[in-house]
Amino acid sequence: MRFEIGEAMDRMRLTIDGKQVQGPRGATVLDIARESGIHIPTLCAHEDLPNFGACRLCVVEIDGIRGYPTSCTTPAAEGMVVRTQSADLEEIRSTVMELMLSGHPNSCLVCNDRDECQKYRPKPTKSGRATRCGFCSNSPTCAIRKMSNEGAPPVLNLPTIYSQHKVERDDPFIERDHNMCVLCGRCWRICEQIHGTPAISIVQRGRDAKISAAFGRSWLDSGCTFCGACIDICPTATITDRYSRWYSNPREAAETTCTLCSEGCSVTPVVSEGSVVETKMTTFQRESRLCALGRFAYAQLMNAPRRLDRPLIREDGDLTPVPWDEAIEVVAAEMKKRILPSLDSSSPAENGDLRAAVIVGELHTREDRFLYEQLAAAIGGQVAVAGDSPSGQVWDDIRGGRIKTAVVCGDYLDAAALKSIEYLVVIDFLPSAASERADAVFPASILGEVEGTFRTCSGSVKPLRQVASPPGEARPEWQVVRDLCHAMGAEGFDWSIPSDLSPCLRDDAAPSRPSGSPRDSIKELPSFFRGHLIADSVVALQSMGLPCTPLPPAEEIIGGFLVVEKEEIVPNFHRLVIEAPAVAKHAKPGQFAIAMVRESSERSPFTLIDWNADQGTITLIVEEVGRSSGEIASLKAGDRLAHVSGPLGLPLPVQKVGTVVLGGGCFGVGGIYPIARAMKEAGNRVVVVLEACNNLMFYMEDELRAVCDEMILVTKDGSLGRKGGVQDVFAEMARGGPPVDQFVAIGCAFMMRMTSERTRGLGVPLQVALNPIMVDGTGMCGACRVAVGGETKFACVDGPFFDGHQVDWEGLFSRRGAYHRAEVQAIPQTGAKVAIKTPLISLEALGVV
Amino acid sequence: MNMENAPKTDPRAPRPPRQPMPEQSPRRRATNFEEVPRGYTPEIAITEAIRCLNCKKPQCVIGCPVNIDIPGFVTLIAAGKFEEAAAKLKQDTALPAVCGRVCPQETQCEERCALGKKFEPVAIGRLERFVADYVRVRGTEPVARVASPTGKRVAVIGAGPAGITVAGDLARRGHSVEIFEALHLPGGVLMYGIPEFRLPKEIVQYEVNNLKKMGVVIHTDYVIGKTETVDELLDDRGFDAVFIGSGAGLPMFLGIPGENAIGVYSANEYLTRINLMKAYDFPRHATTPPKAKHVITVGGGNVAMDSARSALRLGARSTIVYRRSRAEMPARGEEIHHAEQEGVVFNLLTNPIRVLTDSDGRCTGMECSRMELGDPDASGRRRPIVVPGSEFVIEADAIVIAIGNKPNPLIPQTSPDLKVSKWGTLEVNSETMETSHAGVFAAGDVVSGAATVISAMGQGKIAAKSIHRYLGCDI
Repeated sequence: MRFEIGEAMDRMRLTIDGKQVQGPRGATVLDIARESGIHIPTLCAHEDLPNFGACRLCVVEIDGIRGYPTSCTTPAAEGMVVRTQSADLEEIRSTVMELMLSGHPNSCLVCNDRDECQKYRPKPTKSGRATRCGFCSNSPTCAIRKMSNEGAPPVLNLPTIYSQHKVERDDPFIERDHNMCVLCGRCWRICEQIHGTPAISIVQRGRDAKISAAFGRSWLDSGCTFCGACIDICPTATITDRYSRWYSNPREAAETTCTLCSEGCSVTPVVSEGSVVETKMTTFQRESRLCALGRFAYAQLMNAPRRLDRPLIREDGDLTPVPWDEAIEVVAAEMKKRILPSLDSSSPAENGDLRAAVIVGELHTREDRFLYEQLAAAIGGQVAVAGDSPSGQVWDDIRGGRIKTAVVCGDYLDAAALKSIEYLVVIDFLPSAASERADAVFPASILGEVEGTFRTCSGSVKPLRQVASPPGEARPEWQVVRDLCHAMGAEGFDWSIPSDLSPCLRDDAAPSRPSGSPRDSIKELPSFFRGHLIADSVVALQSMGLPCTPLPPAEEIIGGFLVVEKEEIVPNFHRLVIEAPAVAKHAKPGQFAIAMVRESSERSPFTLIDWNADQGTITLIVEEVGRSSGEIASLKAGDRLAHVSGPLGLPLPVQKVGTVVLGGGCFGVGGIYPIARAMKEAGNRVVVVLEACNNLMFYMEDELRAVCDEMILVTKDGSLGRKGGVQDVFAEMARGGPPVDQFVAIGCAFMMRMTSERTRGLGVPLQVALNPIMVDGTGMCGACRVAVGGETKFACVDGPFFDGHQVDWEGLFSRRGAYHRAEVQAIPQTGAKVAIKTPLISLEALGVV
Repeated sequence: MNMENAPKTDPRAPRPPRQPMPEQSPRRRATNFEEVPRGYTPEIAITEAIRCLNCKKPQCVIGCPVNIDIPGFVTLIAAGKFEEAAAKLKQDTALPAVCGRVCPQETQCEERCALGKKFEPVAIGRLERFVADYVRVRGTEPVARVASPTGKRVAVIGAGPAGITVAGDLARRGHSVEIFEALHLPGGVLMYGIPEFRLPKEIVQYEVNNLKKMGVVIHTDYVIGKTETVDELLDDRGFDAVFIGSGAGLPMFLGIPGENAIGVYSANEYLTRINLMKAYDFPRHATTPPKAKHVITVGGGNVAMDSARSALRLGARSTIVYRRSRAEMPARGEEIHHAEQEGVVFNLLTNPIRVLTDSDGRCTGMECSRMELGDPDASGRRRPIVVPGSEFVIEADAIVIAIGNKPNPLIPQTSPDLKVSKWGTLEVNSETMETSHAGVFAAGDVVSGAATVISAMGQGKIAAKSIHRYLGCDI
């Protein structure tokens, strides 16, 4: 047996769960267990962070040490005997989990129909605030959810506490919902690790504790550099990237280099359905930190809606789309005509004047820079590099109006220069004054669409990897220039991939340093990329003070429909009383209204909850699940909606049938209110079944209690009433007990579907209020068509009520998801100030404190 | 130029040829929503107007559904009196800028032009458009004269071509008119259906504003049949007469398997998203655009052409599938021509059998069969017959069904006194456009099924006259 002194000095031997394991000196028990493949659950621990011991999930038993030390903070020692599994440890961990979950929306974790729901709603619903996993952007990757889904649903005995923190949406790029926070401390620890002095820390105590910038300032005012590390390290959806959070199936692509400034930081792009939706730092170390542009603007610039996406040639005065080959040929022929004669006379710079120029920026790939030099030579001109204060002979010639032919690769020229150039070719990614004036426009790939190498200001050469396709027909510049030179008759321009060019690339100069230090202060972020104002495409930068092109003033709503009352009655559910006398006058139970906040809004349908013909008002309950409902949720009393029309749809027939059981979930809790009232007035025995994910999410119980004979409450987590859903109560009632003559269910499509399935064949008719996507809501477009009993119906005019047992639920689910991606793209990125008043059910009232 | 210098209208004198319309080039326009024809310049307009023979018995006027004094306004153009020409036009039509663009002149006024017998007819539509645009752009349109108030109140349901015509005619005659429009913007099919590149929405809103200047009140977001009924307008709100111009807004589908797949749209939905809701400007406008790589449009009418050409403009490849041949296509010749020029592919004598889908329920293509033409059917068009064994698949990620519309039943459902045909249209006395409900008149697509803008306006003019008479006033 060999025994080496060095190894004995460096390594320790321990026994964990009866297994002999080794690890380096200075390691913690957790480190060695992980290294040895022994699983200890953790949450606050992170491989890139110093140990902290906040979550206490990683507790172990160690011989000779009293109590249950946290393995992440306990240094391993030679000969230690450690147990990670025992009845006591199980109990401690499940208590820790329970405590953590009591303050973190958890009903989806313990729901009876968890797996079924997951099948029909694989993507979380994009909500204003997450009240459960199904509404949480973090749910696909959530550590807590994963832990909890591994075993049987956790048993929760502690009451659910909703902290009632305001969702913070005022900052650029970052949204924060402190109600999701488990106080693991990862965010402020990474902030401290990267920036020295953290911009954020934990403030307050107990259930008021939360992460905050000092004195509750906005992060914008706190010195935060918006590096995004806190977003990427947060295990929950407390701190999220407003832009990327709702894109589905994000996947980390190969590391590449950000070329938004000459520092050339490494980034890890995250790709969803072929588009880069965010970029992350490559490691959680100070040297890998990103600036706000590298972290947030990179993806948003790539996805800018105004990208140039087809080659254009000026024909009869108009820029006209043409195929690439033709565009290259036309430009090459024109260039030859203009330039080559003067070359033949061997005086490209007649009278000492340059007549042609290629105007580039500093942030091109090395391959592009090389080829632009070649192009300049081919047209008998010179390369002019645009920068903060461009100078040199070429620029003097441009300013002096002596350049007559130019290729420009960004928005670098003023009106006078544009006017003096006779033939202008633009190779760029966004439209500009130059592209408007150009004789030819070639759409260019940028950032993550480009392959090649980049020389940074410090001189190093870094790789660029293509991780997404450019929009439309856009192409990498090296290809455009290669083809152009080739078409002009240049020899040897036959490189097929960028790396073919590497033998040509030697001793290229490093670009100049950025004027400030973008990674250390948002005040020093560059304003331009290729001559374009970045904040024009990445609107959130405007609130950081980056300049932008002034926009016309926002549209003013003239006339419109007054919001009389507005409150967020429970998290994410907003109650609005709106002046709409014509709608109020004729409203009947089960009908809906179409609302548009602005002229640019969608026509969105909402169930009428209540109305008052005398006062001319209607009441809506709006659940915030995207842009349009978000616009409505952000209104306050005194604001106006541009349009409200209704009442639409067929009312639910109300007559005396005996016992009517009404089930409502989500917005449907309000939705069943007018039906209950009418059914009661018609002389029926009315039973109301209210469903919510937990005890905190019920609303309108008092109003409903006044119009029913019996009220049954069900919660997904069992925190109030019985555990389960409307479907369980309906199925039970249909199977036994007092006879039921009519079921009605209003709520999410999943609940209505489950209700239909579980009451099928039990002899009680079921009416459900369907909620497909609508455009006009008056029968004009057919977007809302749904198959009922094999026949196509329009939910807006034939419904919304249909026989639940006849509905093609698969079809309904499928059509509801038709626009998922576009709906994510529609979410505004401005960081709108949203005033939320939250008179929630108090904990005191529930007897919790 | 003045009247004295106006050329003689000698039919034997040599004449300039019919002046072509300046247009955006096909490959440029197929990518933008700007209007395709740029309109005549004053010089071209005068040259074209000089061609008019100024016939003693002008047949063109008879060919016009609203009987515009065509030689009258054309002669004024020839004389360079554009404002006067505009005033003349406005005597007979409420919407010259619209009609000049969307009327099928080749089967109406221009078909009957005497010049057309030997040469090409006078470009009446283009001249109408020129005059209307000329005064609109310069803000020199004379304000319509309104008669002194009669004290009578008329409710007009629907702010489409019929409703606008009726409202204009009745307001001019001194009646107090209120329009009730279901959507959030007035204009009806002119706003939601006909695309921007064929009819700029700015023009529609300009014409609507002219109505407002005449004292017409417009209530948007007001769905008659839901927000209020016809009877309530008469009984509770005290209107003396009601006009229904609610159009044909209920889309028809093929009834083939897979038709409810994601990516299958009615033409109404497809066009409404793009036109009324401005989805082409997404995400500035919130309505999601019907984006696709290859769009099949089923149908051969103007709406099908509008859909297929809109698809090109949203960046898609675009194919028309029509079960008869080109000769039977009901679309305007110019629209078919424009669509072909822009690169729409025509799959004629092709009939859809079913929509193919992937596992997410998204449309991936359409199975079709080839057709051949048999004997003429009731419409006089040759009946298409399936060629056995000719099934084939066209791959596509979107399908637009543009096979027609029926009237929306919301109004008849809530007005039991209104008699409805088996096609869902309102039955009217064709002389007076009065319905079976006393004091209630109707015109346009709600009466004739899906037809044209100008025929709706023509019927509207008749309805306006009879309403005026019904209200006890002389014509």
